[in-house]
Amino acid sequence: MRFIKLLFALLAVGTYIAADAQRGEIKIIANPNVNASEISRDDLDRIFLMTKTSLPGAPHLEPVLEKAGPVCDQFLKDYMGRTNAALTTYYRSLMFSGKASVPKSFNSDSEVTAYVAKTKGAIGYVGLSANVAAVKTLKVTE
Amino acid sequence: MKSLFLIAALSAGVIAAQSTDFTVEGLPVQVHGFASQAFLASDNNNYLTMPTSSGSFAFTDFGGNISVQLTPNFRVGAQIYDRNLGALGNWHPTLDWASGDYRFKDWLGIRAGKVKTVLGLYNDTQDLESLHTWALLPQSMYPLDLRSTTIAHIGGDFYGNIGLKRLGTLSYTAWAGLIQNDSQDGIAYGDHVATQGARSEGGDLRWNTPLSGFLAGVAYTVSAARVKGVDPLGLPYLGRTAKNETAEFFAQYLHGRWRLDVEYRRAYLAELLFDVYLPPSLTQDNRSIYGSASYRISKRVEVGAYYSRFYLDWADPHGDPANHIFDKVATIRLDLMNHWDVKIEGHFMHGFADLDAFRGFYRQDNPQGFKPDTNLLVIRTGIQF
Repeated sequence: MRFIKLLFALLAVGTYIAADAQRGEIKIIANPNVNASEISRDDLDRIFLMTKTSLPGAPHLEPVLEKAGPVCDQFLKDYMGRTNAALTTYYRSLMFSGKASVPKSFNSDSEVTAYVAKTKGAIGYVGLSANVAAVKTLKVTE
Repeated sequence: MKSLFLIAALSAGVIAAQSTDFTVEGLPVQVHGFASQAFLASDNNNYLTMPTSSGSFAFTDFGGNISVQLTPNFRVGAQIYDRNLGALGNWHPTLDWASGDYRFKDWLGIRAGKVKTVLGLYNDTQDLESLHTWALLPQSMYPLDLRSTTIAHIGGDFYGNIGLKRLGTLSYTAWAGLIQNDSQDGIAYGDHVATQGARSEGGDLRWNTPLSGFLAGVAYTVSAARVKGVDPLGLPYLGRTAKNETAEFFAQYLHGRWRLDVEYRRAYLAELLFDVYLPPSLTQDNRSIYGSASYRISKRVEVGAYYSRFYLDWADPHGDPANHIFDKVATIRLDLMNHWDVKIEGHFMHGFADLDAFRGFYRQDNPQGFKPDTNLLVIRTGIQF
């Protein structure tokens, strides 16, 4: 019995470590004027669902998307818990019902980084290998 | 012929669908549109004012919008919508919404103008074929014939989102306004009645729970209207609402490739009638409920099913086919391209709820009388950009 409990505990720890390692495969970036160094998972989810538009030190935030691909999939899996199709449907429902505009989306890490670098309040995600010298990288907290 | 033109336009639109973001004088502008065309065929009764028993293409709709972000907190926009659905719509374009939206804080914003009404899961997006798994949304809750009675109001909304930290998020909308009369809807077609616009108020409160993807909500509306109609003797009559309340409960669960929805609505109507023939008052206690499940098999394929029940008057015998419509539905959705989908859907209906239901079954379309069962095939294709 003790062995089984130990096995489950090891499995749980292993799963957590694996998930955490995967989360490290993308970076959350923001315009340098965003006065924050970290962001909670909950706030990140709400910003990309457009139900939260500000943070302390950032009076207006603009989510920026990378179009369908491995980076987008990883972001959605790690932080949104939705498929790309479901998120696209969500944005379109807001837009066609007059509730919001669709966030800007770009084809590559470099395009996302360039837009975030020049746009006040912009927040986006890029792959681990992206050059993020012109933007701020935010640490995601639980 | 118009349908054929639209099909051609749909095809062209698929090819032409491009990015629609641009700037004017430095202001970000977005232009978007959508269109759909359907074919319906049924075995017994004619449905939705179309000769569906011999197959009908008379189901077309389209719309387009433009919006401008004037400041980070202030946005204006408008959308046009048009449809021809059998005898409904008749290509009369309508201003679907046109509003200014200012967000003071996350927890407080104001929309004013003609605003899409937030009521349950899909009231404000019911026209957008591409947003749904289904060719036809559950008609117990979102009847195509009665679209205009709930779709939008001229007035204003207060809305906001309140973070509850570990308890999730609350989203609210409180609204008041005037619901415009629609001379091309099912009430006008089925009963030759014209409302003079209904004053209406309501609210919608939804809780995004800590369980990721699980949402639960309630909504409530009251409205009052005056009506003009023609009685069975051909004499004009007047009426007014004594009580018109709608209460709704809904829940949704999104998990990976799954989407589960359930909604329940009670709509209670009491009208006073001033006529030599009709009774002095009329009451109707509608009940609607559905449950649905859909699963995305791959990027291009989604399947789903729902079961929908509508009772015309809860006080009348529930088993009477003239008092209910039960609908079992199975759908396959194919996303041929990112902007173009096709749906094939089977409806297996029991009941017709004919008198004053305005939900697909009309006596003038079925002069031979109603049969209790209707099997319906719907093939619908749509684009959006």
